[in-house]
Amino acid sequence: MAAKSKVYETTFIINASLDDPQIDAVAEKVKDLIVKNGGEMMEFVKWGRKRFAYPIKKRNNGFYIVMEFRAPGDIVSKLERHFHLDENVLRFIVIGLDKVALKSRLTGESLIKPAMTSTPMPAEAPAAEAPAKSE
Amino acid sequence: MPPFGQRRTPTSGPGSRGPGGRGPGGRGPGGRGRNQQQRKKRTCRFCDSKEDYIDYKNEKRLQRCVSEQGRIIPKRITGTCSRHQRQLVVAIKRARHLALLPFLNEAVS
Repeated sequence: MAAKSKVYETTFIINASLDDPQIDAVAEKVKDLIVKNGGEMMEFVKWGRKRFAYPIKKRNNGFYIVMEFRAPGDIVSKLERHFHLDENVLRFIVIGLDKVALKSRLTGESLIKPAMTSTPMPAEAPAAEAPAKSE
Repeated sequence: MPPFGQRRTPTSGPGSRGPGGRGPGGRGPGGRGRNQQQRKKRTCRFCDSKEDYIDYKNEKRLQRCVSEQGRIIPKRITGTCSRHQRQLVVAIKRARHLALLPFLNEAVS
């Protein structure tokens, strides 16, 4: 009989001083672990580098990654163990999503948008103003 | 001239209360007390927007539910309903763990 699987979500923070390919490698390892344990990836979102609200391990920013997957329950302890062992993972959280959460959580694009802090507005194009003045 | 004795009962008749409204009769069931100026019924903002799940990743949303120092604002002030406040507290604590929200913001004193 197949083990009961549940939808989980994990957010973790990778050391931002690594290069992009190195960060990808860390994320890939997590992905592999999930898939190898009979999980199925549903969502994979890179938030990118973000400033912390308080320093973690004397660092002020980190690379955030959010994953959503369906897997049997024993994945959680394996995943947590993996995170603990990986030095480049600064923080992590694994959460089971219930029906309500699945319906109304942030996903995909909407997930990235609120996380972004004040995208710089494009400067007013001076070209638009010029013809108005000439008249 | 009013009949003798009527002056002594402050809750009789309109206009018997002074402008301050803080006399001995001012604390009646009418709720006329200190907070006379602003008594607007606040509604739960999560109920208003029909949110069933408060996401810890929604940093901007959560930021409005903590004080400048990073404290969780009690529901008696924000008007959040009990059910949502319970969910909110969990979400804020998760966000704090991931350094999305501060535990304590020392920059503001």
